[in-house]
Amino acid sequence: MASPGSVRQTQRRFAFRVMTPIMIYLMIFSLLPLIWAVILGFFDYSPARVGGTLFGLGESNPFIGIRNYVDLFSDSQPATVFRKSVSNTFLFTFLILPLNLAITLPLAIIIERSHTRVKGFFRAVYFLPTVTSAVAVALIWGAIYNPQAGLLSEMIRSIGLTPPKAWLSDPQAFVMGIPLAMFALIVAHLWQDFGYNLVIFIAALQGIPQNLRDAARVDGANEQQMFWYVTLPLLQPTMLFVSVMTILSSLQMFILAQVMTRGGPREQTQTILMSIYQNAFRYQNMGWAAAMSFILFGIIMVFTLLQFRFLRSDWEY
Amino acid sequence: MVTQSRTNYSYLIGAVLRYVVLGIGLSVTLLPFVYVILSSLKTPSEIIQIPPTLFPKVPTWQNYTTIFNDPKVPLGLFFFNSSFVAIARVGVTLFTSSLAGYIFARYEFGGKGLMFAVIMAQIMIPFQMIMIPLYLILVKLQLIDTLWGLIIPAMIDAFGIFLMRQFIEGIPRELIDAGRMDGASEFQIYRSLILPQLSAPLATLGIFTFMATWNDYLWPLIVITTHERRTLPLLLTWYSSNHGSQPSLTMAASVIVLIPIVLIYILFQRQIVANAATSGFK
Repeated sequence: MASPGSVRQTQRRFAFRVMTPIMIYLMIFSLLPLIWAVILGFFDYSPARVGGTLFGLGESNPFIGIRNYVDLFSDSQPATVFRKSVSNTFLFTFLILPLNLAITLPLAIIIERSHTRVKGFFRAVYFLPTVTSAVAVALIWGAIYNPQAGLLSEMIRSIGLTPPKAWLSDPQAFVMGIPLAMFALIVAHLWQDFGYNLVIFIAALQGIPQNLRDAARVDGANEQQMFWYVTLPLLQPTMLFVSVMTILSSLQMFILAQVMTRGGPREQTQTILMSIYQNAFRYQNMGWAAAMSFILFGIIMVFTLLQFRFLRSDWEY
Repeated sequence: MVTQSRTNYSYLIGAVLRYVVLGIGLSVTLLPFVYVILSSLKTPSEIIQIPPTLFPKVPTWQNYTTIFNDPKVPLGLFFFNSSFVAIARVGVTLFTSSLAGYIFARYEFGGKGLMFAVIMAQIMIPFQMIMIPLYLILVKLQLIDTLWGLIIPAMIDAFGIFLMRQFIEGIPRELIDAGRMDGASEFQIYRSLILPQLSAPLATLGIFTFMATWNDYLWPLIVITTHERRTLPLLLTWYSSNHGSQPSLTMAASVIVLIPIVLIYILFQRQIVANAATSGFK
């Protein structure tokens, strides 16, 4: 029989044989792109020009310091569109978050109280949109929003009201100061996305121990008091988690806007990721687009770190 | 007793209200699906008719046969592209995740903590941050406009490794020791003692990887330029922009793309929902 020392040696060798290719792979497909992305942000880089020997940087793709970042604040048309996309994305995110929570939390509570068999059925149906292709969702909602032949306008007409003349393409249409097209996208987004938070809330509600509710009931709490003083405080960690996940996915909104409105009308629904995509791959202005993606990365990082901070907070029951 | 009947009464109202809300939610959730199916069964002239109809006057398969017979839309090819990429990514992800998860769960070696941290850091890097250099790397590797360009950058899944490690830590060490006693090689232990225990988490990871790949749009949009290499979501946007005046065709194409994923969902619904609830991963 082999000695314990040689057994350990074989194991170590096996571990290294597996981990070495994985680490090399990550260097090439993860670490290198990350560093490269940061560096690109300081170059006037376009893949259309040959440039220097090292990654095509230098010569016709010169180092320009922080000019890409400075240019984001210039008066040029693409810079204006980018800034518009930043404010649009924040608007999207902070409209989606409260609307999402206002739908998913009450719905989760209702479902959780329902009969087990009914519960499974509703949960399954409500989750269905989340697994469907976002491109198909965008096309379906595009048809629903069709001003003449679409479902929504017709429903509004059938109850005797006048629908707006276009849901997705009228730059003059605003609701409470927010572009109508943006609202239309938000509704489509909520429809596709609410199932995630819903099932997470249901699971969290099921995790609240019955004895806590019983104790509150013995103390004479009614249903409302139980919700505000027992359920809601215990849901706080879940609320934070769900909020951060919703914020992160909304900040990276792309497909619905790209397919349904192309960012229009008049860039009213242009998102940050659309700006990055257009500047990098349509205008081949990759240095500048890399600077944009670093900005988005920074925004995302702030929320990710917030999440880590909150999730570490101790909570037990 | 007065209080008793009042409790019953308010309970009844509560129950009715609950089901009304659930019912409204159900209709809103299902209506777009019903709408796309009904629209796909209308004739091209009926779908743009004003006032619009909800139910097709005479349901017709015409849109589907148009798509199936369109020489520019060899559906089999596009289904193959999407399936090839999805199956390859599922296979590779399951293999690398379970193997690396096993190493992290059961082996001791220098730099283990650091390597694990490096892998977990992937979760924090949003894809949009690295997509531009990743594109340039694929250009260098001559993988642009190939299906491999959709597979090769996605061979390591940090979340998958994490998931597998968690699960493997629950498998008793005695099992591995017994395998060593029998003279099995380290890889044989992974292959025949560990892997068979992992069917549940592998299924979960596989389903989620499949769905994410199947629905992926941004990366294929960047990488693929040749029509014949499009995946289904790319085909769908291309098709809709080429048949803008015939929405019934676009609706039928959407149904065709939705069918496989909805079938998978119906089959694995319990697993999918349960895992989305506990892991919260999209």
